Amino acid sequence: MTIHLRRATESDLTRIMNVEIASFGSDAWPATSMRFELSGPHTHYFVAEDDDQNIIGYAGLAKLANHPQADVQTIAVSEEHRGKGYGRQLLERLIKEAVNLKAEEVFLEVRADNPVAQNLYLSLGFEHIDTRKRYYQPADVDAWVMRLRLEAQDTKHPLVLGIESSCDETGVGIVRGNTLLANVISSSMDLHARFGGVVPEIAARAHLEALQPTLEKALKEAQIDLSELDAIAVTNGPGLAGALMVGVGAAKALAVATGKPLYAVNHLVGHVGVDVLERGEVVTPTIALLVSGGHTSLLKVNNLLDDVELLGETIDDAAGEAFDKVARLLDLGYPGGPKIDEQAAKGDPKAIRFPRGLTLPKDMEKHRYDFSFSGLKTAVARWVEVKEAANEPYSIPDVAASFREAVVEVLVTKAVSACLDHNVPRLLLGGGVVANARLRELAQEKCEANGIELRIPAFSLCTDNGAMIAALGAQLVMAGRKPSSLDFGASSTLPVTTVQTS
Amino acid sequence: MILAIDTSAGTSVALIEHGEVRAEITVEDNMRHAEVIGATIERVLATTDTKAHQINTVVAGRGPAPFTGLRVGLAAATMFAAGIGAKLYGICSLDAIAFNELTRGENHPLLVTADARRKELYWAVYQGLDQDGIPNVLHAPAVNKEQDIQEQLRELNLETVHAQAKMSAKDLGLLAHKLQQANRLSQDVSALYLRAADAVEPKPNQRFGKAVSG
Repeated sequence: MTIHLRRATESDLTRIMNVEIASFGSDAWPATSMRFELSGPHTHYFVAEDDDQNIIGYAGLAKLANHPQADVQTIAVSEEHRGKGYGRQLLERLIKEAVNLKAEEVFLEVRADNPVAQNLYLSLGFEHIDTRKRYYQPADVDAWVMRLRLEAQDTKHPLVLGIESSCDETGVGIVRGNTLLANVISSSMDLHARFGGVVPEIAARAHLEALQPTLEKALKEAQIDLSELDAIAVTNGPGLAGALMVGVGAAKALAVATGKPLYAVNHLVGHVGVDVLERGEVVTPTIALLVSGGHTSLLKVNNLLDDVELLGETIDDAAGEAFDKVARLLDLGYPGGPKIDEQAAKGDPKAIRFPRGLTLPKDMEKHRYDFSFSGLKTAVARWVEVKEAANEPYSIPDVAASFREAVVEVLVTKAVSACLDHNVPRLLLGGGVVANARLRELAQEKCEANGIELRIPAFSLCTDNGAMIAALGAQLVMAGRKPSSLDFGASSTLPVTTVQTS
Repeated sequence: MILAIDTSAGTSVALIEHGEVRAEITVEDNMRHAEVIGATIERVLATTDTKAHQINTVVAGRGPAPFTGLRVGLAAATMFAAGIGAKLYGICSLDAIAFNELTRGENHPLLVTADARRKELYWAVYQGLDQDGIPNVLHAPAVNKEQDIQEQLRELNLETVHAQAKMSAKDLGLLAHKLQQANRLSQDVSALYLRAADAVEPKPNQRFGKAVSG
């Protein structure tokens, strides 16, 4: 049997009264008083319910608005369910409620002759501060007055919910400070498969449908409810405009409905900020290489919240897009990254010398840290075409391995140069292409050879996700930044220098 | 209390209590839904001194409408309802326009249209109100070129008057109130796109010869 706690409503009155009468006998409150308690504006009641919706216990808290004290009104668990920790669960829920209501102290009274209850309260941090003589009549028993001091509102570890919808993943993440509580992702990837790439309208439609279930799942995973949040964060760019707007509209309405502050944050900086969830901070300065189906960007992060520079980015296709296109060319399927990886593992990366985009001296002058993969993709297409026109057999694994090597080598070489040129001994990888085994391997090798510390977050934090948006939002809250106004829009080309849109 | 949100044209938000309009704010600009949706909801609450949790019903206009803006309102309505634990319902936006005209006494068959871009119109035909005060639908929402709509109306032998009312969340909210009283509100809040997403499947690769593996 599992027991769930939920808020009590007036419709629970009869079942609550059954427990009340069984527990307190002649001292039981009359149903009229209990009804008032359940419906009052300053009282907060919870019931413990089993799978068959039998109420086995309940507890209530009273707290006046703008008054720093809360009182435990009552707590009861039906006799056959005592000693199983349900009383403790109910009391913990009341304490959580008191924290949410910004109470500073919680008071309660307990019979002086009830050591079981006293020990429970003591174990939760209540102190015995006073005794009311002969408080309980007609039994003529003293009451202990007990008090719990609540820590000042925990601004050091704000609870933040993040919403991400910039491409084909609907993400809702929840963090407390630098601690990950939930990271739920709903991907529309399968819907794009037959088109060989992300179709913006299909992605946007999928976001709308995925929003609410993804939110519910994340709240459940984190075991919180919305009223506990300190802030909401949302990606407002860069990304697909129609997709971003779904998240922006959703986040604004959620913020107004819950009265929580809203932070509009940069998707790419989120990919960097996610490192706080694994290491407690983003050590700066760091170079960050962000590679996905939508982005290929090289950043220099001097300070996560205030000073992010774009060193370079792709001038045509994103690296992930090149993988998709070449996989299609070779009839390998979608998404291309894993398919190419699978073939490449069986092939020779030196079999074919495909061009390395923007690495020639003349290109390096203007595009030292920029990338180009469109020419590479065309080179692969030409190479295959020539072989096929001549009816010559060729090895798909060799093509895949040689193509992959060309992409990965340029990515890693330019990222490592950025570290060396700027004297920054740290490189952080992010984005879905980080799943590519060869990229990780070569980055590891080159970083070790050059004394650069390499950071690769867990894959679930590298792909687009809501946790990284929540994490960046939490960093802004902890730094005391003002929330965004409600007027920001979705910006498909938001520059990395704008970490938060005011 | 009912909060009605519609972004099928501009951004329109209204608050309805006991079948009366407490407030409505409409921002006509049909390119800035994402920008204005949050502040518009907030202003409707503020001008009526309403706390979000006092609302127990949220109703969203499902279009039909150009997709990008429409989704902003549907996303907002969904999350607003989730945020306060309110019930969420959807209504075709054209029904709300019809409701406005028909409750003002129009008794001819009523053609309601909305801009669908690409030289097409979303359209539906209504006539009169049923016993619950809800518009009777003669032709369900569709999207066509204007001349094709006229042709279809001729084929159906329908002489219609063309609705002049603009989309307004207050009509959506008032219609929701009627539907609620008749216990006929629908929980379907899916967008009425009426068009498939623009997406072309790529042609299969042309193959001249045969590739071998290994």
